[in-house]
Formats: sequence, C-alpha cells, structure tokens
Amino acid sequence: MAPSATNTEWDHQFHTLRRQDLFRNPPKDHSAYPALQLAVNPHIESFNAIFRGDGKPGLLAHGLADIGTKVFLDGNDRAAPESRNKLYIRIKEVTLQKPQVPPSNKLAVNRDIYPAECRERHATYRGKLSATFEYSINGGDAIEFTRELGQVPIMIKSNRCHLEGNSPALLVSRKEESEELGGYFIVNGNEKIIRLLQVNKRNFPMAINRPSFTNRGAGYTTYGIILRSVRPDETSQTNVLHYLKDGNVTFRFSWRKNEYLIPVIMILKALVETNDREIFEGLIGPMGSKAASNTFLTDRVELLLRTYKAYRLYSKSETRAYLGQKFRVVLGVPETMSDYEVGTEFLRRIVCVHLGNVNVTEKQDLDKFHLVLFMIRKLYALAAGECAVDNPDAIQNQEILLGGFLYAQILKERLDEFLGTSVRAALRDYLRRHPAVNFTSEEFRKEFPGGIFRKSNENIANGLEYFLSTGNLVSASGLDLQQTAGFTVVAEKLNFLRFISHFRMVHRGAFFAQLKTTAVRKLLPESWGFMCPVHTPDGSPCGLLNHFAHKCKVMTDYVDVSSIPALVAELGAVETSSASTDESVVVMLDGKILGWCTPKESLRIGDCLRYWKVEGSHNVPLELEVGYVPPSHGGSYPGLYLTSTPSRMVRPVKYLPLQKEDYVGPHEQPYMSIAVVPQEIESGVSTHVEFDPTNMLSILANMTPFSDFNQSPRNMYQCQMGKQTMGTPGTAIRHRTDNKSYRIQTGQTPIVRAPLHNTYGFDNFPNGMNAVVAVISYTGYDMDDAMIINKSAHERGFGHGTVYKTKKITLKDDSRTRAAKSVVKMFGFAPHSFVSASHQAMLDDDGLPHVGRMVQEGDVLCAYHTVTPDYNGNLVNLDGITHYEKYKDSEIGFIEEVRLIGAESGSEPLQTISIKIRIPRSPVIGDKFSSRHGQKGVLSQKWPAVDMPFSETGIQPDAGALHGLAQDSTPFRFDEENTAADYFGHQLMKAGFNYHGNEPMYSGITGEELGADIYIGVVYYQRLRHMVNDKYQVRTTGPVVPTTGQPIKGRKRGGGIRVGEMERDALLAHGTAFLLQDRLLNCSDYTRSWICRRCGSFLSVQPVVSQFAPGKKKAPSMVRCRNCAVKLDDSEGIDLTEIQGEIWEDGQGHCWVGGDETTQVVVPGALKFLDVELAAMGVKLKYRIDKSDEPRKGPMKPLKQITAAA
Amino acid sequence: MPREEYQVPTATGASASAISRGATGGERHDSRAVMTYICGDCGGNVTLSKDALVACPHCAGRVLYKERTKRMVQFEAR
Repeated sequence: MAPSATNTEWDHQFHTLRRQDLFRNPPKDHSAYPALQLAVNPHIESFNAIFRGDGKPGLLAHGLADIGTKVFLDGNDRAAPESRNKLYIRIKEVTLQKPQVPPSNKLAVNRDIYPAECRERHATYRGKLSATFEYSINGGDAIEFTRELGQVPIMIKSNRCHLEGNSPALLVSRKEESEELGGYFIVNGNEKIIRLLQVNKRNFPMAINRPSFTNRGAGYTTYGIILRSVRPDETSQTNVLHYLKDGNVTFRFSWRKNEYLIPVIMILKALVETNDREIFEGLIGPMGSKAASNTFLTDRVELLLRTYKAYRLYSKSETRAYLGQKFRVVLGVPETMSDYEVGTEFLRRIVCVHLGNVNVTEKQDLDKFHLVLFMIRKLYALAAGECAVDNPDAIQNQEILLGGFLYAQILKERLDEFLGTSVRAALRDYLRRHPAVNFTSEEFRKEFPGGIFRKSNENIANGLEYFLSTGNLVSASGLDLQQTAGFTVVAEKLNFLRFISHFRMVHRGAFFAQLKTTAVRKLLPESWGFMCPVHTPDGSPCGLLNHFAHKCKVMTDYVDVSSIPALVAELGAVETSSASTDESVVVMLDGKILGWCTPKESLRIGDCLRYWKVEGSHNVPLELEVGYVPPSHGGSYPGLYLTSTPSRMVRPVKYLPLQKEDYVGPHEQPYMSIAVVPQEIESGVSTHVEFDPTNMLSILANMTPFSDFNQSPRNMYQCQMGKQTMGTPGTAIRHRTDNKSYRIQTGQTPIVRAPLHNTYGFDNFPNGMNAVVAVISYTGYDMDDAMIINKSAHERGFGHGTVYKTKKITLKDDSRTRAAKSVVKMFGFAPHSFVSASHQAMLDDDGLPHVGRMVQEGDVLCAYHTVTPDYNGNLVNLDGITHYEKYKDSEIGFIEEVRLIGAESGSEPLQTISIKIRIPRSPVIGDKFSSRHGQKGVLSQKWPAVDMPFSETGIQPDAGALHGLAQDSTPFRFDEENTAADYFGHQLMKAGFNYHGNEPMYSGITGEELGADIYIGVVYYQRLRHMVNDKYQVRTTGPVVPTTGQPIKGRKRGGGIRVGEMERDALLAHGTAFLLQDRLLNCSDYTRSWICRRCGSFLSVQPVVSQFAPGKKKAPSMVRCRNCAVKLDDSEGIDLTEIQGEIWEDGQGHCWVGGDETTQVVVPGALKFLDVELAAMGVKLKYRIDKSDEPRKGPMKPLKQITAAA
Repeated sequence: MPREEYQVPTATGASASAISRGATGGERHDSRAVMTYICGDCGGNVTLSKDALVACPHCAGRVLYKERTKRMVQFEAR
C-alpha cells in the first residue's frame, strides 16, 4: 500500500490528530504547508539564478560575458602598443561547490557540512568558489587554468545547499525544522538575510520632475527622463535625459560614482548611421502627420539638431571615435583598442544596456536608437505639459531588488575588480621587478598563473562574507544603488511570526529614511494587493519598511516572450509613428519598441494579449504584464508596455471573461477595474475580481482575527506586537545557538483563527494562550494599559516562559587575524595550580561547567590556562595559574547545554566552547502582555483567585487552558446587515450567557454583585518579550564618569537614568527643591571641595604636609591657599618671631605662611571640571562664598602683617 | 541510564573525590581525568583526554556535547 501524498489543504479547524501525526511522522514526500515555502521562494530562486541548473546561463555567466577579455601588455609603457606582447585573459567559468569539509581533514566520512553544524559551531555556511581562467599570448593557443577564490556564503535551501528539495523527514534528520524555509545565510552562526529593496522599474523611461536637476548646470530644468536599464546579469545602468531651458537635451549617466553629460544627438548619431532628417522624423513623425504642425516640438527639435552642428561630427564612425577618445580613460579599456572600438564599447556598456550588452548587433543598436528617440519624445511631451510625471514612489513604477541578484552583482564586480585591478597590479609589479622578462619567455610561462595570481588578492569570497555580516557594500561602481549600508539584517527567530515577516519585508532604501519630506512614506492606492496597508511599523521606518501582501509573488526569471513581437505586428503595430499621442502610441516589450499604433488599436492589442495569456494560447505566458496606459489629457504617457522581466511583483486575480486565474502586475493594475468582491462587479467595466478580499493583507495582518472590526491603528499595533511576542521559535531549539532566544512554556492554539493560520502552519509555533479576560472600564479602574492576572492561573503556568542565552567562549585571538595560529591557551585547570574549593565544585574536571548546574552572578563558567609548547612539542603550562570566565548576569540561570566546538580541519585541541544558559521567566509584575488586537497591558498585580470576581456560572477571569470550538476569524465575512455581534450574541445566548457578553459578576471578597455587568470572554493572549527583568534600573551610588564624577550611562554597567531638562522642569514646577537637589547633586557629582575664600579659587588650595605625621591615608587636616600665602624662603631676613599666623610646609619642603582663609564647600564635580578646563584656556573663575567675600576691585593687596615685619 | 542503576554519589565514588577535596578548602590541582562526551553527529560516546583533538573517532563529528552531570542537582524551586 503506497502512502497517499501529504494533504496540503487546510481549513480553520484544530486538526489536532492530523497535526500530531505530522509531528510524529514528518512527511517523506513534501511539506504539508507549501504556502510557507512560497512566501520565501523569491529569495531562494534569486540565489539559484546565479548558478542555474537548467542549462541556461546563470547571472554570473552573463556577468562574465560583460566583463569580457582583459588585455595586458609587457615591456616599456612608452613603447607603441603594437611592438609589445599582449596577454589576453578572461574568466571562462565560475563554479560554486556545496559546503564541504576541507581536504586537510582526513578523518571525516561524511564530507558534507550541513547548516545545523554551522549554527552550532558559530561558523559560516559556505562553499568553495573557483574560477576557470583562459589566457592566450599574442592571440596564440588558449590555455586554461583554475584558481580557487575562497569560500562564499551559501543561501540555505538554494541549489548550492545540501537541503535543497529535502522532505520534512530528511530535514528533521539533518537537525532542521520540519518546515525549514531557507532563504537566508548563516554567517558566524547568525542567520542573515539580504533585505529586499524597492528600486525603479527597469527598462521603463520614467518622466521625472525633480528640483535638484537644476543643479547640473546653467540652463538645466527640473524635467528629466530616467531609464534604469538592466543588463542580463541583473546589474543596472541608469540613463537620464535632461531637458534644458532652450529645448536642448543632454544624456547623463554615472560611471564609477562619477557623472558624465553628453549631447543626446551624439548618442543617436553614434548608435546608427543616420542623418538629421531621420532623427527629425523619428522624433516628430512623417511629413503631414499632426505632430508636424506642433511648433513647440519642431522648434525644439530644430534647435537640438542645430546646436549639435558645433561638434562637426557627421558619420557614425566619426562620432564613435570622438566618444571613444573622450571616454578611453574613464572606461579603462586596453591600449590596443582603437578610438572607434572604444566608442562602440562605450555604447555597449552604458547606453540602454538592456537592449544589447555583449556582442551588440546592428539591430540592437537600432533598437537603442529608437528607444532614445522615444525617450526624447516623452521628455518633450513632459516639458510641454502633455504628459504627467511618473511617481517614483508609487509601486507602479517600482520593482524589487532581490537578495540573490544583489549578491550576483557584488560577485560580478569583485571578479571584474580582481581581473582588472589586482591581477593587473600583480603583473605590473612582476614586470617592474623583472624588466627583462616578456610574456613570450619561458621564465614568464613558469611564473604566470601560479606566482602572479598568488600575489594578487585571490580571496574574493571574503568580501562577500563581510557584506553579509555587516551589510556594508564596498564597491567601486556603487552598483547603481543609493545606499552603501544596511543591506542585510539578522533574521531573528524570536517567534515564528517575526521570522517569516523578515522574508516578506521590503525596504524603500536607507536614503529615504533621512529624507525630511514624508511623500515617500505615503500609502498609495497603487500598492493594493502588493504591499500590505496594515503591516508597517510605527515611528521612523513607517511607510519605508513595508511587507508584501500574502499572495504577492516576485518573479525571478524572464518569461518566454519570443512570440510576442510577431503577435503585436500581426495585430496591427507599425513602424512609423508620430509624436502626437492622439495619432500613435507605443507598443513596448521590456523597454524595446515593438511598434506603434493608434490608441484604439493599443487597447485592442492589450485586450487580445490578456485574453490569450489567461487562456494559455498563442504562446503568451500567464505572467506577462500587459501595461495598457490609456490616452488622457495630461495624464501618464500612453502606450502599451509589456513586461516579462524578473524582479517585478505579480499577484493572482480572477479574469472574468474566462473565470480563470490571471496574474496582474503593479504597472497595469491602476488602469484596470478589479472588483474586490463579486457583488462589486460592474458589467462592461470590471475585467477582474479578487479571489479573496484578504489577499491584500500580509501574512501577519491576516492573523489578526476580525481585523475589519478593529480601529485601524490597532491592526498596525498588532502587527508589531505579534512580532515581539514571546512565542515558540521552532522545534529544533536544541540545535540552535541564538544569542538570545525566547520560548513560551504553555503555548496553545487560538480558538478564534483564520484558515490561513493553518495554511501557514502557525500551530507548529504557538504564540500565546487562550484566557478568560474581563474588560473593566468602570470608574476607579480606568488605568491606562494595565492588567492583572489570576494568581492561580499564574501558578498553573499561564504565561510562563524561558529565555535561552548562548555564550561563545573562545581562547583564540580575534579570528580576523590569521597570523597567530598556534595554541596559546587551553581549557581546564592548570596542573598543580591552586584551585579554590568553590570553583572546584562549580566546574567539572575538564574545566567546563556541569550541565544542569544553577549559576548565579559571579559563578565561574569555565577555567582555562596558558600553555607553551615544550621541546617535544607537547603543550605545557608553566605559570600554574588558572583563569576563569565568569557568569555576569544578575539573574539565576541553568546550564542547558555545553558544546565543544572542533575545528573544521579536525586537527585542533579544544579552543572554543559554546554554553547555552536557560533562564526561567515566570510572569512578574511589570511584564507586558497583549491580546491580538493591539491591546497591550502591563501586569500590575497577581490577584488571588479567592478575591477575584466571578460570574454566575462561576467563571473567573484569566484562567488558562480552555476548550472551545475553532472559530473562523477571516475578516470581511460580516457586514452591516449580518453583524458579527449578532452572530456571536446568539451563540452566547444559546450557551446561557448574556447576548452582549456582559455578565453579572460577584465580588470575590464580599460576595456582593458588582454594580455593573462586566464584559468577559475568551481571548488569545500573547506575552511580549518586554520584561521588567531586562529593563529595571536602580541606582543610588555606582560607577561614575571620572572627569565629571557624574553617573555613567547604561543599564548594563549599573548606570543611572538621566534626569533631563524636562524632568528638571517638572520638579521645579512642583516646588520639590529638595528632591531636585537630591537628584542633581547628592546622587550625582556631589563633591566636597576646598576653596580659598580670599582669592575665590579651587585651584590654588593645597593640603599642608606635616613633617611629623606622614600618614598618607588620612584626609588633609589643613588646607592652605598657596596663592594667598607668602613663601618664607623668598623673603630673606624675616624675623620668625614677628610672623603672625602658623607656618606651614608644602610637599617640597618649602615653608609658607598665611593663605589660611580656606574653607570646605560642596559643589558639583562638573563645576570643578569646568574650572580646570577654563583655566587651561587662560580663563580664571572666582567664587564668592558669601556676602563678606565680595569681589575686590583693583589689584590684590599684599599681606599686611608680613610687609609690616619686613 | 535506567533509573535503577542510578546511584547517589557518595564520598567513595570517583567523582566525589573532587568534592571531598573541595571540602578541605582549596587544593593543588592535578592533571585532569579523561572525560566522556557525546558526538553531535553520530550520537556515540567520545573520550577525550587533555590536549586531545576535538573530533569524534567514529564519524569525525566536529561538535561534541557535554553529558548532563551525574551529580545531584538540587536547588530551591520557587
């Protein structure tokens, strides 16, 4: 009997037995929750595209073609290139292996390294990257050789990962979750994901009005056309057309972070052999067309052509040679290339690269020519006010930069850099040191691949690991991106909701976060169905950090559109066109102009293509986007924009004519009529209907029950709080080593849930408990955001949780410096060393803690000692000192696991351990809880059950563990006629409760009925991770900043919380002067200090040194002012008997008299610091102790007594 | 280990020597005994002496777990 395939259909019921079976017998065929994998797939597929397995060239193969062949010359730099030997070198192929044990490890039987091991070992999940190079000298025979380029981090579940396509059963045996999703990297044991970024839609000329365009120079206006052109390897090059005041147009691009401007006619003339008439008619249309009488246009085009005459460049070859001469240095092309070739190279690399990037044909150059003409046309329409600007912040004009694609871009640039810079430098260095050697010599042949490559920095993979661990992009070109940092985030597995949200998260870009204007953050109607309107955080990232709607899909590959050009031509698109959009509009496929037709025809073509694509006929792919922009008066530039590219979002809706699934994209959606519910369908207008109105919500927003009945911000809060809940991170907790991980002990499945709860398998990761909650909004109890829990419920385990902390202890030095490889420290007690009894009891004989032991603050976690190799090579300890690592947290914890981590090579003694400590966290007063509706509360009492009010049926609030019938909670199931309150009211009534849920209750203390009926019912409650134990801060005394004497900052270090200006104001306003003094002085930098009353200075006083009592510890009994005193040694012939006042001695043995008007005052330490700082700048401060110390006017008077005596 | 086999450690036991030594208030520590760990890969027992290389002899597993202590773990549960 063959087992039937695992069922993947779910409804809202509990399915307890089915889920138990899934847990006990993980399926061997496929997951029961395919929706989860679909949510993450864009990440994995984009990574898979780098090295494809289906025979088509991967992204990197395209990238290598773009890098092309590099040419190096030997001999004298000043000699003519023809006389020198040439070395042609290119990267033929790059391969990436699955993670494996290095060959130096001879013992390993299973050589594969699995992700779980990398997590446990705090290592990086990476595979070997190697490249095959091919070189020839002076065009001779090509010679191949292969070099290893280091180890590159690999995405989990990608086609370079051992877990690709694993069944849940296999995943469990490999120490993963049964529903492991992949899509992230493991770097140093942390799970990192590359954030999705919103970028401009590719290959689409966007009309932009941007004030900063005027900064380009004199004459520049705010109008421009931006084209983000994407090469087959997913790197992009932005081309911009600028409109000048006089009607001229310049072409701008940026190359290696520098900007360049070129007259657009020069580009046109370089692309194809053309003349002014052809350009004129290409822009305006043939003679006799309506646009030809548009003088605005004709005037400007005439000027455009006339001003270009100044360059005196007429033919294609002249223009290309001119461009080549100007851009030779910028592009860094080999000296052997002629100017014409450099010009061709320029067009290949920079102008409309999506239409032809390598081996550009004449046909492709013509396509580029037509596209630039179209862009100019759109620019003039924009300047004339005939078309509106395209909003770059609207999702209509955006696509998604996928992590894998970004990774490929970085990899390509690193390879380019390696060949073009590192190898070049190594070669030049070699040739300089051996001037006699040339490429054809035998000596060079011996040295070439090996010696020279070793000298260049071959470790390309290191840069990628750096990128993933820091999120910083180090790039010479900037990759056409607006930011250099913040590309990666840690995929925290706090609970499963948070984890899955990371993969559906889209960021607008760090650049926009610092923008003062809030236009980018706006929720636009275009986003419907693609971005969730609810799921965005509050505060600074609001509207910039969005999440995909749960049905939104990101394309990761081109769809097959080979039949489209023929179909479009068949449907009536022609080559000739006019600038007037009444006459002809464009039909464009992925930024390539297929033809032109009348606006009416474009609608027909669009409708035909849509029908065919849904029908699946005529070889039109379903995911093709048919962006029909209708003609309008001053609206978006009309046309039919077909898109088949990857990186765009699509979502399923039902196509009404065929009642079948259609995929729509963000560019076409604004011009379509999609009914939300079937009742909304307008005959003759609506073409589509949503499959479900909840499709517009993200996964998380769908988990809020009856979210359509909530006040709208509550739904946003719930999306935040759902992600902060102390939940169940997973089932493979044993094999995880997160720095900090939270877990709820008594998780339950919610009674009220949407079917999607099961579809996404959230019952595998419970997030809270069902609790009876009474809502009391009655006089006297209306405290903000507070709650109490039943003490008995607490004792039964309600809300109990655990925090796991993992501490990695390594005896190796900083792993970045590979220099010190020898072992200098070892775990364990040093032989023959003194070990105190308490430490001995805390640790095992190997110097590691006992598993299961309770640890408190100050307990030792492990022991180690230093070693040096003796003459036999044995490691011996010489000093006999045992060092300890201490447990520093103030909370009691338990040693849960101790891991001994071996080296990958298997040839190292124990150098690293990882200790997981379990900290029990039962709910305490001050911990935060919330329902699933953004209703948070802070626990303020554990209320004894006997004193808790009870209802007529004896139900008390806040008892955990309840039974109920699973309740479908999908939003939009109720409406005004058929209300939810009524539906549930009747159910309550049937069960013998109040229709409104308001029950009469009785005081638990007196037994009297309460004066009001209390709203009570069962709610799913979440415990949030914000716990007082992590937050409380107490201080009276403690560490201080040495310069000022004020308390230091930071909870970890025992610092204080600042009483700032506003708090000070509040204390002043309350008249609590004494409290203010306590906060600002006594508990802060209270300093007793000596001061001289006479000269009013802190700085001139000094303690008297007594000859007879040289006790150092004693506080100075006498302090004198050195400034006001007179030195006896200076004034000769003083009669000592005549002197009044005591003689005192300073530290150097000099005797002084006077200066005894000192006193002690209390001042803030910061004041003394200020005094010293000012004194250093030559500013003296003088203090008046009281009224009698009035500042003296005029010069200081000398001491009377002494002058009289002298 | 079946429950019946468990023996409450006594002063005569091998592991108790450390405790008895501890009771005297500090001791010069001698070289440590051979310890047993569990391989994270194959689950087998791994015996490591001092300075030994960290690798399972059966499968060359690179992560070893320390066994839960056999000593009595007792604390006030509150």
